[in-house]
Amino acid sequence: MRVGRWHVEPRGLASTRVTLLVPLLSVFSALVVGALFLALTGNNPWNVYTKMIDAAFGSSRSVSETLVSATPLILTGVAAAIAFKMLVWNIGGEGQLLMGAIFAAGAGIALGDGTPAIVALPAVVLAGAVGGALWASISAVPRVLLGTNEIITTLMLNFIALNLMNYLVLGSFSPWRDPNATQFPQGRPIPAAGRLPEFFHRLDWGIFIAVAVAIVAWFLVGKTRWGFEVRVVGDSADTARYAGITVPRKIMSVFLLSGAAAGLAGALLVAGVLGKMDPRSLDLGLGFTGIIVAALARLNPLAVVPVGVLMGALNNSGPALQSIQVPSATVTMLQGAILIFAVAGEFFIANRVRRRPPAIPTATVQEDAA
Amino acid sequence: MNDSTFVLTAFAAIGLGTPIVFATLGEIITERAGVLNLGVQGMMLVGAVTGFWATFRTGNLLLGVVVAMLAGAALSAIHAFSSITLRVSQIVSGIALALFGTGLANFIGRTGTPALVGQPSRETFEPLLTGGIANWPIVGPLIFGHDTLVYVSWLVVAVASYYLFHTKAGLTLRAVGEDPASADAAGVEVTRVRYIHVMVGGALAGLGGAYFSLALVPSWQDDPIGAAGWIAIALVILASWRPWRALFAAYLFGAAGRLNFTFQTLGVSVPANLLAMIPFILAIVAMIVLTSGKRARLLGAPAALGIPYSREQR
Repeated sequence: MRVGRWHVEPRGLASTRVTLLVPLLSVFSALVVGALFLALTGNNPWNVYTKMIDAAFGSSRSVSETLVSATPLILTGVAAAIAFKMLVWNIGGEGQLLMGAIFAAGAGIALGDGTPAIVALPAVVLAGAVGGALWASISAVPRVLLGTNEIITTLMLNFIALNLMNYLVLGSFSPWRDPNATQFPQGRPIPAAGRLPEFFHRLDWGIFIAVAVAIVAWFLVGKTRWGFEVRVVGDSADTARYAGITVPRKIMSVFLLSGAAAGLAGALLVAGVLGKMDPRSLDLGLGFTGIIVAALARLNPLAVVPVGVLMGALNNSGPALQSIQVPSATVTMLQGAILIFAVAGEFFIANRVRRRPPAIPTATVQEDAA
Repeated sequence: MNDSTFVLTAFAAIGLGTPIVFATLGEIITERAGVLNLGVQGMMLVGAVTGFWATFRTGNLLLGVVVAMLAGAALSAIHAFSSITLRVSQIVSGIALALFGTGLANFIGRTGTPALVGQPSRETFEPLLTGGIANWPIVGPLIFGHDTLVYVSWLVVAVASYYLFHTKAGLTLRAVGEDPASADAAGVEVTRVRYIHVMVGGALAGLGGAYFSLALVPSWQDDPIGAAGWIAIALVILASWRPWRALFAAYLFGAAGRLNFTFQTLGVSVPANLLAMIPFILAIVAMIVLTSGKRARLLGAPAALGIPYSREQR
């Protein structure tokens, strides 16, 4: 194919070098674009970027905060990665995370103070995963039974979950609202027995759960028969059907697991740093950032871990920018730019672009025939 | 009579609905070309901030509107390039645009001295007519009491509807969205048609954003448009890809946004958060009931929506 003066040909299987280089170049290009905008608005990009690195990794406390920020992103990243792998466009990670937080806080509050940690902690964490999966099922069931496009339904469910969370704490006197908060409505703290222990400043065991989920997801998708079938469905639903794979059941299971992973992210926030369902701390776009993580990790659950840490570092560096009079929105802008370049980069992983036509004469003949 | 709850609610609904009319219309035109652009929120926000900035600097409202439309079109060109030329995932590309646009808008709003954030607009769109027919009962405020951009939105809806269903160019556009291979065979430049309409869609989203910052709440704050861009995507389905239906769907939405206040004046207390859910619930129900399986085609969903076109793979 020709695009202007460029000749484009499919690459077939891309080399490891290319698949690593393209995401790295995406990040680099986004930083260049960011530097351009910073320079245009009278900031020194170098100062801004060094400040960001310092805020994200400069001290043991900032490393801890970066990993705290990374924990939910690894999980929403895994959620997007496994779904997108199968062409299940679950863009409802946001809502599933919030629903996970609602369920987790609800479980903690329902169990109350007397429950031992051995019961309370797993209950809180698992309730979050169940909440996320249930919320995903609202889109998954119509998709599987009726063929309803899940893009819009998952997207809309994000805003329903957001309003539900706000209603439970800010708009009503539900059990989720702290009855002792007289000044301003707040989430009711869950019992201490439901909280994840901290071990490195504010970093808690949640990071291990997140990494473990990423490893399990990688194993499931890459190393099991189930995962193989999922990948076949992702490549071609027709091929899968001919191979005797029950496609609807595969879609259902992937969809629900994706929702559970995002729900788990919400649960780990409630059981970890937040200790309650706090609307002001949960409305951060973690589900959407998970899509960036998954895309940059090229839907590989293991790669989601380092990319999640990178995005966590970016998120963590935002507030520090305000101290040098640079808007924290710089971070969102950079993340969006990274995703733009990462998704465009998929083209260069799938295709080889040359200035001259391919050297082999037969290829030219085929092109003319096409 | 013009102080009645009905008139006040309907008037507010038109105001709140207008930015969504522009954005929904833009997305309808985009999707009619077979391209799904989920980046409406980003394009609206960038339109809102650049339009505000241009008016803030020059005191010229028209310039603000033009700049907002150009900014929206420029942002949508990124999506057009990714989805039409590079043929990568439209879904992820659109979300990238939404995130980038949100970040960019808040970035622009908080840089420079003085920063735009917290500033009122230097000029604002005011009602075109005051007194006279604008005071007539009911039709006065509802028909004659609006600012210029509301009338522009009605005009754009009428033009878009005529263009889509009664012109050759509109037929070509729909052909490109339905069956690009046949359109291509008939001599239509699919790529060009798609680029143009994606960018027109972006311009309309930018205009919708500017309505927030120059007319509805003439000032700049972080994230001033709520979830309007996402709502517009839902309304395309509720409007079944038709401009006139988009107008009324957007006003219905505007009314829902106003309902909270209306209920208060009637002495009924309905939690704002639960009311805010209604549009999204409606969109999901409509999605499931109206568009599942083959029914989506009957409703008017372009057959090639979201599918990149490659001449070699036809």
